[in-house]
Amino acid sequence: MSAVTASIDSIAEPLVQVRDLHTRLGGKVIFDGLSLDVPRGSVTAIMGPSGTGKTTLLRHITGQLRAGFDDVSGSVRVAGEDIARLSRAALFALREKIGFLFQNSALLTDFNVFENVAFPLRQHTELPEVLIRDIVLTKLQAVGLRGAANLSPSELSGGMARRVALARAIVFDPMLILYDEPFVGLDPIALNQVLRLIGTLNKTLGITSILVAHELAAVRRVADRVYLIANGKLVAQGAPDELAREDSPWTRQFFGGEADGPVPFHYPAPDYATELGFAR
Amino acid sequence: MNTLVRRNWLLNGIAQLGECGLFFLDILVALPKSLRHFREICRQVWFVGAMSLTIVMTCGMFVGMVLALQLYYTLSIFGGTAALGTVVALSLFRELGPVVTALLFAGRAGTAVTAEIGLMRATDQIDAMEMMAVDPIAYVVAPRYLAGVIAMPLLMCLFNALGILGGHLVGVTWLGVDNGTFWGNMTSTVDLWKDIIDGVWKSLAFGAVVTLIAVFQGYNAPPTSEGVAYSTTRTVVFSAIVILAVDFVMTAFLT
Repeated sequence: MSAVTASIDSIAEPLVQVRDLHTRLGGKVIFDGLSLDVPRGSVTAIMGPSGTGKTTLLRHITGQLRAGFDDVSGSVRVAGEDIARLSRAALFALREKIGFLFQNSALLTDFNVFENVAFPLRQHTELPEVLIRDIVLTKLQAVGLRGAANLSPSELSGGMARRVALARAIVFDPMLILYDEPFVGLDPIALNQVLRLIGTLNKTLGITSILVAHELAAVRRVADRVYLIANGKLVAQGAPDELAREDSPWTRQFFGGEADGPVPFHYPAPDYATELGFAR
Repeated sequence: MNTLVRRNWLLNGIAQLGECGLFFLDILVALPKSLRHFREICRQVWFVGAMSLTIVMTCGMFVGMVLALQLYYTLSIFGGTAALGTVVALSLFRELGPVVTALLFAGRAGTAVTAEIGLMRATDQIDAMEMMAVDPIAYVVAPRYLAGVIAMPLLMCLFNALGILGGHLVGVTWLGVDNGTFWGNMTSTVDLWKDIIDGVWKSLAFGAVVTLIAVFQGYNAPPTSEGVAYSTTRTVVFSAIVILAVDFVMTAFLT
């Protein structure tokens, strides 16, 4: 099989396995038979045009959308567990091993930076305060915000909030971290640091990472594998450099930023001239 | 309104009621777990209770004053102004105290709870908790619900106390009703169990339904600014209707 392909390459023991996923939200088909594997210990990027369901895929992996509960069929397995079959308690137990970085950070506005990072520790452990303090400061140091521990979320810039959310996502040293658009709104310095952090977490702790992103340059620096999703299906996959060189209509349009291609730039609409009243 | 629209409206209403009932069961299940968050419950009692004191006490005072003025006028026609203290107290304990406090509570604390939870939903804070394996019903909803149920009777007691004080101010200090008669008739007629405790039951029921409406509307608010605003309005409208309906039913059973 070629390095760049639109069909699924089976991986011996994937941490995340998606099979024949069909999802319909609000009457719109989001996934139409999507299958993919995320290898353990890898950094995998999910790319695709806006509105193609990348964040929805993350919601499937975390069990926020599940077969049987919603208009969903197919299977999503994480660490061998079928998400659809898990009880709420078992799902919560699994989520303790998953970190999630939200697109808009989703910091708890009632708490300061320190308490936001400490929140999962306080909820799930009986650790002494001194140990919680040490863990939180270690995580904040990793994202360069130890000095901002006493600030409230409203005092943070978008990039700083993203880094605090990242510190919170890694506070339990999870087996899997899901990053939803982690590079949006970051200045080049912060972006570099976040990229380095993703790489470090992956290499030193063996944490599997799935990141949803549009920034090909950043993805090329950190990802081992890219899945390109469009029209509810996997249209290409492979190493970032190989995918960028690939000459399929999908990759050419997406990575070349072309308006014309398999993904229409315009939302379906009646004829332009007719709508403006120029047509005879 | 054509038949189809009317039927959809009815079905949506029934579906909402069903969802609200299931949501209430979720809260009941989560209540024991939420007791772990004792600090959060105290914070919420402060937020919905103590922060409502100004409006409840001020309104209580004015309601008592207006009540004394109106009743004095009516009672004086029959030469019965000596009963002013009794009638003011009974009106407050049995009816006005629980109902007006609940209406004020819905406007002040209910809307705040709906807006707060709705904004938490809109800014992904609720989803973030779910993702951190923290049950938002136990951490966010149940403490607020408990706080509402605890705070409502306490606020009603203060409303009644200030109302009687207002009635005394107008009746005794201004209109010249005898002080001893005012208090004496009141204490000899008002029954602790039949009048005061019945009012407390009503207040507890109002606390339970108003806070349920507030947390339900907030939790299910569409994640947009318009959605949160709409849910906040619905909290006030639904609360007002439900308070008066529950009041009628409880009054029918308690009297």
